[in-house]
Amino acid sequence: MLIDKEKCIGCDECHPYCPVGAIAAMEWEGRSVSEIDQVGCVECGCCYKRSGVCPVDAIYMPKLEWPRSIREPFSNPHIKHPSTTGQGRGTEEMKTNDVTGRFPFGVAGVAVEMGRPGVGTSFRDLQTVAMAIARLGVEFEPNNPLAELMVDQKTGKFNEAVLNERVLSAIIELKIPVGKLKEVLAVIKEVSAKIDTVFSLDLISRVHPDGITPALAIAKEAGFSPRPNTKTNVGLGRPLFKEA
Amino acid sequence: MTHTLHRQGSVEDLHEDYVLLIRTSRFVNHEGSEKTMQQIWEVISHYEQDLVNFGNHNPNWDGGELYDMEALKKAKSRIIHVVFKDRERIKACLKEIKERDFGISTVVSGLCGETEKICAEIGIAPHTVNYSLGIHGRTERLPKGETLEIHTMCGHAMVAYNLIGHMVKEIRRGKMTCMAAAKKLSRMCDCGIFNTYRAEKLLRKMTTEHSE
Repeated sequence: MLIDKEKCIGCDECHPYCPVGAIAAMEWEGRSVSEIDQVGCVECGCCYKRSGVCPVDAIYMPKLEWPRSIREPFSNPHIKHPSTTGQGRGTEEMKTNDVTGRFPFGVAGVAVEMGRPGVGTSFRDLQTVAMAIARLGVEFEPNNPLAELMVDQKTGKFNEAVLNERVLSAIIELKIPVGKLKEVLAVIKEVSAKIDTVFSLDLISRVHPDGITPALAIAKEAGFSPRPNTKTNVGLGRPLFKEA
Repeated sequence: MTHTLHRQGSVEDLHEDYVLLIRTSRFVNHEGSEKTMQQIWEVISHYEQDLVNFGNHNPNWDGGELYDMEALKKAKSRIIHVVFKDRERIKACLKEIKERDFGISTVVSGLCGETEKICAEIGIAPHTVNYSLGIHGRTERLPKGETLEIHTMCGHAMVAYNLIGHMVKEIRRGKMTCMAAAKKLSRMCDCGIFNTYRAEKLLRKMTTEHSE
């Protein structure tokens, strides 16, 4: 996003709308105007159409060139990813698991929501986490929009050109045999000390007929404290996926 | 997207925060689902007075009007989001959706124990659960308390920490009511999952109990 300094009246109304605090006042031709720090801006559009806050329409979206162009679809939930043609940072994950069967019994889903909540992340930090996890020989989700930016799925290495790009959030998604979960969670815990951002961590598990989700016990053993609130797919989708 | 997970707050507060998310799968049953989704909105409209918020993540949203139920009943919806503050009302809505057997995947975001009880009470066996294993990394970069609780009601992070702080200042200056501020914050989240009712309560707490 950019601000047309000729139009800007320096009211500062747009400043609080920026999730990453990238808008500040500056002196320009003897008056105060607002400016968006291009390093920090994640192209989320909060200061633009989403809020419609600017009283003089001084804020505008320029045509974004590669690699900066990847910021917008990861940060603005309205924008479709060119690779997946879907919106948002992730996939249908467990929301449609009753019809897709993506996470069957014996398989756990893990999602590392980098930059969330509200801090943002660089692709360098994304790579740090992806590479740490990749060493365990896991499979990253091919339908996630990160997949096309990863040059090597086996190492978790990203395209060098995107490493300094920043987004509001991106999700490293993987599915693993439940037996491998403890090891993966240990690596995630370890790598959390090596990044300059936060992440929210998800664990997906099929519910057994007796109501038990074995993955949850493993997460607790690994030292994680699940929050009291969850997302539960209640199995009303049809046709119901039939597990072997 | 896991935008309805990771909502922060005490168990007591989360008793007033349930999101019903209904969506088609682009791989399985999206084709030809338009009428079914409209019928689901019709069912949801029976509960309109119980709803805290609702929306459908409309890609054509342009910063204009917020959602209205009549428009949604005729819209092309890929996803339906509805927020309840009362577990009995979400239970009633879920029961009706189950009985109509629309065949569209349905997700309840909320307290795990309560969700399990709701499912048992209406004869549903939970299929898959997504657990929140918390926030990790540089957590010292996060705001504390109510600001984080309000922010996490929009999982896409469209409700900036600074905007919440700005609203608190406006309320303290007498320029805005807590409800008006909650609605203004809610407007940033066009999925319609922001719990305006809870946000108002939290803003009231922030502006009456604390001094920054």
